[in-house]
Amino acid sequence: MAFAWKASGLTYNKYLSVAARTVRRSLKDDKRLAAERRGDMELRFAKWTNGKQGENKSLADANAASMAEAGSQSSS
Amino acid sequence: MNTFRIARTALRVRPATVRAPLQRRGYAEAVSDKIKLSLALPHQSVYKSTDVVQVNIPAESGEMGVLANHVPSIEQLKPGLVEVIEESGGSKQFFLSGGFAIVQPNSELSINAVEGYPLEDFSAEAVRSQIAEAQKIASGSGSEQDIAEAKIELEVLESLQAALK
Repeated sequence: MAFAWKASGLTYNKYLSVAARTVRRSLKDDKRLAAERRGDMELRFAKWTNGKQGENKSLADANAASMAEAGSQSSS
Repeated sequence: MNTFRIARTALRVRPATVRAPLQRRGYAEAVSDKIKLSLALPHQSVYKSTDVVQVNIPAESGEMGVLANHVPSIEQLKPGLVEVIEESGGSKQFFLSGGFAIVQPNSELSINAVEGYPLEDFSAEAVRSQIAEAQKIASGSGSEQDIAEAKIELEVLESLQAALK
């Protein structure tokens, strides 16, 4: 099965998180406020080389960058 | 040698004849026309091995209804409406954001999704305003990824709007 989002470099995980975010935003106000907190993700990571910590990066930004790269590779 | 073999088969046969009446009773209990449904979200389990009559799921390969003794299969779910027909005869509708449904051989159905809510928890107003916003992004000049995300949102919202009608 071919999915349009796959051609743009998006992963299945990203597809699911976008779909879940949309569902949360469509709820009635009281439920929405409780649910939207579940979508927050603030993970950060750093690569260690030769015993030194590298740059501290946000995982969400790094994921977005890698998906943009995958998208440009598949379309070119 | 021959007598020894007979003695051994006799030994093997006897426990089976002793157990036979028990087996027969077990078989009568095992026949059930219900399917055990587990509907699990990361933060909540909505159904936990509950006996239900039928479950209708929106699989990527098409809408399907699952009854007891269904063929084992694994189905990817579209964002859509899952309908559960309970033992009492009533039915409940949940909108799931997409995930997987696994039909197991022993009349068990496991559904996993990221988000799922009863249909009455959704606001038609919020759906309408999000559709307008997503359409603007989908036809705009954003990055390829932004447009792809907006198209996913549209898929979810249109399915939700159809379910709310």
